[in-house]
Amino acid sequence: MNRRFLIALLLLWSLGPLLWQVYTSFCSDQALIQPFVSNDHRWTLIHYQNVLNANPPFWRYLINSLIVGATSTFLCLVLALPAAYALNRIPRQLSVLTRLALVGAALFPYVLLFLALLELARALNLGNQLLALSLPYAALSQPLAILLLNSAFNDLPPELEDAAKLEGLSLFQRFRWILIPLISPATASTAILVFLFSWNEYPIALTWISDSNKLTLPVAMARIAGSSIYSVPYGAYAAATVLGSIPLVLLVLIFQKPIVSGLTSGAVKG
Amino acid sequence: MTLQIQNLGRSVGQHWIVRHLNLHVEDGECVALVGPSGCGKSSTLRLIAGLDPVSEGEIILNEANVTHSSAAKRAVGMVFQSYALLPHLSVFANLELGLRVRGVRPFDRQQRIQAMLELVQLQDRANVLPAELSGGQRQRVALARALLRDPDVYLLDEPMSNLDAQLREELRPELRRLVLDRQKPVIHVTHDQHEAMAIADRIAVLHSGKIQQVATPEDLYHHPETLFIAKFIGRPQINCLRPKNGVICAVRPESLFFAKEGLPCKITAREWLGSSQLLYLDSPEGFLRLSCSTAVDIPEAPHVSWDVSDEHHFALESGHRLP
Amino acid sequence: MTVFLLLPSLLFLLVVFVGPLFRYAWLSFHADSVMTGLIAIPNGGANWLRLVQDQRYWQDLGQTLRFAGVSVGLELFLALIIALLLDQRWRGRDLVRTLALIPWALPTTVMALGWRWIFNTPYGPIDYFTNLVGIGSLNILGDPNLTWMATVWADVWKTTPFAALILLAGLQTIPVDLYEAVRLEGGNPLICLRRITLPLLRPYILLALLFRLAQAFGVFDLIQVLTGGGPASSTESVALYAYWNALRFLDFGYSSTIIMASFLLISVICLIAWIGLQILIPTHSESRGVIKS
Repeated sequence: MNRRFLIALLLLWSLGPLLWQVYTSFCSDQALIQPFVSNDHRWTLIHYQNVLNANPPFWRYLINSLIVGATSTFLCLVLALPAAYALNRIPRQLSVLTRLALVGAALFPYVLLFLALLELARALNLGNQLLALSLPYAALSQPLAILLLNSAFNDLPPELEDAAKLEGLSLFQRFRWILIPLISPATASTAILVFLFSWNEYPIALTWISDSNKLTLPVAMARIAGSSIYSVPYGAYAAATVLGSIPLVLLVLIFQKPIVSGLTSGAVKG
Repeated sequence: MTLQIQNLGRSVGQHWIVRHLNLHVEDGECVALVGPSGCGKSSTLRLIAGLDPVSEGEIILNEANVTHSSAAKRAVGMVFQSYALLPHLSVFANLELGLRVRGVRPFDRQQRIQAMLELVQLQDRANVLPAELSGGQRQRVALARALLRDPDVYLLDEPMSNLDAQLREELRPELRRLVLDRQKPVIHVTHDQHEAMAIADRIAVLHSGKIQQVATPEDLYHHPETLFIAKFIGRPQINCLRPKNGVICAVRPESLFFAKEGLPCKITAREWLGSSQLLYLDSPEGFLRLSCSTAVDIPEAPHVSWDVSDEHHFALESGHRLP
Repeated sequence: MTVFLLLPSLLFLLVVFVGPLFRYAWLSFHADSVMTGLIAIPNGGANWLRLVQDQRYWQDLGQTLRFAGVSVGLELFLALIIALLLDQRWRGRDLVRTLALIPWALPTTVMALGWRWIFNTPYGPIDYFTNLVGIGSLNILGDPNLTWMATVWADVWKTTPFAALILLAGLQTIPVDLYEAVRLEGGNPLICLRRITLPLLRPYILLALLFRLAQAFGVFDLIQVLTGGGPASSTESVALYAYWNALRFLDFGYSSTIIMASFLLISVICLIAWIGLQILIPTHSESRGVIKS
């Protein structure tokens, strides 16, 4: 098969829609409606201005998503690292069962949990608080995180810990000096995957946060979609799409290695 | 500072990995623990070190019963077969970690590690990562770490098995010098009986989780308590004749000689070993090995014989030695 | 000691995964809505009865199953091709792989706006294209027969890279000499695919299949932003229906019932898919004597 052709097709298919948004975002309203208008009426920056100067300003959403992403990732790791370590030290049948349950939980469409989680948020007064979102996010990422980190711990030679015990290191010291440093690639992969999940999460962020200053990016975009204060809104939509996509494109490009290795090893162990 | 193991045993589920272990090691004494793979040598070390829980028996180190203390609390220095050096830390950092955790002050740490590096001749490799060291150098770092611990007992788990034969020969006297100089009990696990006989004061032979005999190399060689030991110790392997009346008679290859009368046999192969030669013989009593000097002539129709006093008798059922 | 290490994580997991299921089960047998003043009152199986008779639910269920089935089927097919393409080593492969991952990394709602524009009639590029090839203007987002296809397309676009990566991981575990052995015996690529690749890839296909099926069944983000469930509820999914029952109609009891039913259905579907895959792709114990068959 003509490989070059297939590769070109793949790239066109993958990036085409996004590139179209870039193109659209620079087109004036007139150009959007009349595709063949002359070039001096075509290009504009007004859509970006509108989006960036809106109330609240667009970068607010990015900051919110960043805060939620960072706290979720941190909390998730704090919970998952000890659990992943301990998973190897419980009786064999129990750990096999647990692993199976974790795989099942990882496959589960968490959207269905929105109602119960909403009730929880109401009961504990967690609504409209960015930091509170890290609680469900950390919990929902546990299955994947525990499985990835556990397999990384398994790959360590057991004698390293034995030698450390004989040197007099306590459990905490072993974690600090040996275990955690040695699995740092897996930790990086897990962290970036959890971060991506938190950044992109929609249903729970939607139901927990309504204050427009505290919206995360996906929820804000949905709101923009719901409002049509522009005559031809698609220029503004496109600008918003491009702005919303830039952080993620950067993340993927910068962290491509840990992302790919995390997903790959997750698949192999799953 | 002595080490005493009394009736030590460990079981996992219904299966006993090691049982009824009794051993006593004095200061400055090196006892080698030998046996085939899977006999429980490493398990025994792990029990003494405190890495695995004891199911029955006692471990007494320095008059203190340490059977149930954690590994960190027992003053045990262990060198692992794979050396177990932390790959992400330099040689210096590897040696420093234990000292740091035990509360030694920075200046003292620096001094002690420097001194130790000089002792094992690795002063110029202090800031290197383990991956950049040769096998022999890694072993020295692992040893240095154990020495720095200044423990009450040294446990060496096949420390030479990852090295090639020549290196092993070079390092043996050095190992002896460094470890035995400390005047503490040493247990050295190995599957290489030559190594055991070369450096140990006494050898404990382990088989299927039980100690069959503890004795000096000479005693083990000349008075093996069981058939297993007779076959395990000594290369080339001892000759076992066909069992008669529930008794197996065994004779060492160097005890056989050519005579006018004796067992008729045919020579099937010959190995020339420099100063000696090894002959493989086929006889009515079975397959035999004869070891002699290369000066001996081989007769046309050979008959082999041996002194009755060189015979070892073992019961067929139990394998135990018969007087 | 070890228990304390597991406890915090376990707590979170139980609260978030197990708790809700019990809550939904309990709530589905209660009336809890504006009518009851938002207090739960037991009403036996009334919610369930209502569910069975609910036209809209069954329509949504059918739409969701259609969406999930077509979307996942298409995805796996494309993912396999992409994975095969990426499995070989060529210059720039890693970059292409990363670029192909971008659709997966974008939040669904962000790109959904973009899709609205792309499928827009009369101004979007798709419309321009269909007019160019003579099909004329298709009101994709306004025609109930076509809109669901747009949602499938958008979903396939986003999730195929993920499935491709899983299959790629599987492909890389297949030893190269298996293919060489077959080639020496005169086999062609198609036989390689059928007798070596697919059977050895089966666990990965299974993983991707189950994962995507379960996720697709719960589709929410995409539908809400791209079509809002329309036109005329033709793209509405069960998750969206449950959401509206809870947040728009404030009928928590009924919403729980919908969710509970969906959970049971997903479990059954995944079981069927698992069995189906075992039948569809049999693994021979010997993969070398392949030419004979």
